[in-house]
Amino acid sequence: MISLQHVSKTYPKNGVIALDDASIEVEKGEFVFLVGPSGSGKSTTLRLLTREDDPTSGEVYVAGKHLAKLSVWSGVPKLRRNIGSVFQDFKLLQDKTVFENVAFGLDVIGKPKHVIDARVPEILDYVGLGSKLNNFPDELSGGEQQRVSIARACVNRPLVLLADEPTGNLDPSTSVDIMRLLDKVNKIGTTVVMATHDQAIVDAMRKRVIELDSGKIVRDQARGVYS
Amino acid sequence: MPLADYFWRETASGLRRNGMVAFAAMSTSFIALFLFGLSLLIGRQIDLLVQAVTGNVEVTVYLTDPVRSEIYIPMMDQLRELPAVESVTFESKEEAYQRFLDLFSAQRQVIENADPEAIPASLRVKLADTAQYAQVTEALGCTTDDVTGATVCAAPGVRKVNDFRELLDRLSTITDVLSYGIGFVALIMLASAVALVANTLRMGMFARRKEIGIMRLVGATNWRIRVPFLIEGLVEALIGGMLAIVALFLGKVFFIDRLRGDLLWLPLIRNSDVLWVAPFILVAAVLIAVVAGTIGMRRFLDV
Repeated sequence: MISLQHVSKTYPKNGVIALDDASIEVEKGEFVFLVGPSGSGKSTTLRLLTREDDPTSGEVYVAGKHLAKLSVWSGVPKLRRNIGSVFQDFKLLQDKTVFENVAFGLDVIGKPKHVIDARVPEILDYVGLGSKLNNFPDELSGGEQQRVSIARACVNRPLVLLADEPTGNLDPSTSVDIMRLLDKVNKIGTTVVMATHDQAIVDAMRKRVIELDSGKIVRDQARGVYS
Repeated sequence: MPLADYFWRETASGLRRNGMVAFAAMSTSFIALFLFGLSLLIGRQIDLLVQAVTGNVEVTVYLTDPVRSEIYIPMMDQLRELPAVESVTFESKEEAYQRFLDLFSAQRQVIENADPEAIPASLRVKLADTAQYAQVTEALGCTTDDVTGATVCAAPGVRKVNDFRELLDRLSTITDVLSYGIGFVALIMLASAVALVANTLRMGMFARRKEIGIMRLVGATNWRIRVPFLIEGLVEALIGGMLAIVALFLGKVFFIDRLRGDLLWLPLIRNSDVLWVAPFILVAAVLIAVVAGTIGMRRFLDV
């Protein structure tokens, strides 16, 4: 599902080497933690997968697509429709309700209204927010907001879900709830890649762990722990 | 339909949120397009003026005394052959004196001091195309001395030719200066309208960078992200353009139409002239929007 082959990434502006000859293979339906200190290359890896950045060298494949060969005008948007993204800061629009936030994701890729009206309540029910469709983000707890963002990421039934520190702003018990939800999404066949600092979560989940340090892969362990 | 609906909603919300800046862009477009239209109308008015001034003017070929029909009759035939010439009539010394008396009937002094013999006979040449006045002088082999300004003609029996070389030259100098000046101002205004509309689009995009980020994240195409902004710029420029047309029309009604009674001799621009300018203004508005869109979106919206 995901394949990085000898990928290096140097940011030309400051010369920082974010990734250094990294190779990663992730199969369909896997759940993978990317761990490592800040600046080790976790976020860069995720940005390469959605082609927000191009690698300096090496090849990246996602869902069978060679990312360097995708056209900006149609290939890249199509790729991103197959990838759900979740972030530490939720990235919700404050002036839209829960329903509208999730609907926005479908609206802007041209889904018709009847599809939106059918799918949005369904996915919000799935993430446990079936009763808060008309609330605004600032009326929700952090955990609930992250559920909205997961709903938005999953509403178009992506093949891959990328999560960049999804529990970074949440307290431990809420984090556990979010992890349960991500696990649930993974169980229906979605490949999940999650970058995190959260040791307790990694240790509790016992999933595959890829550890990065200064852009190099220093560990790739099935059913691993944080360190 | 869903696509049109989507673009409409996005554009409307953009204009709403970006209100003040959109208003600024709209008013600059308005002023720019108003001046642009004004320059076209002034050009039109100048054309009308030039036509009015030169339309009735004849080239006059003054003949030497004594006037001999075997000279001027072939000359009239020769001039009639010219493509620019409509008609040629002969005015005898007596006729010329009579006309002189009519012309100065109010000023007895002038008449008393005039010697009827000094007033020459002439050929009055009416031109089909006044701009081609030079054909007459050429046919008579006349050349103008650059220093003294005197015309010397090779054809026998011709004393002097009055064409409106000087008049036309002076007029064209004035019209050139006027139209280049106005065109230059209009061009600067158009450029600043482009800059302002582009800036509005940028600010709109900046205000909505979070939405744009999410749109990219979920796989919205560039077109879907950009078209609402392009339409927004187009709407601003077109509203400015339509206001400019309305303003030009009102200006014509309130200023030009009031002159109409006082200046009977002067042809003035009409509604049809304003109508003639309208499509140019709208095309310029579209150009403003397109150029502004291209500039405003460069770099900002790269995937």
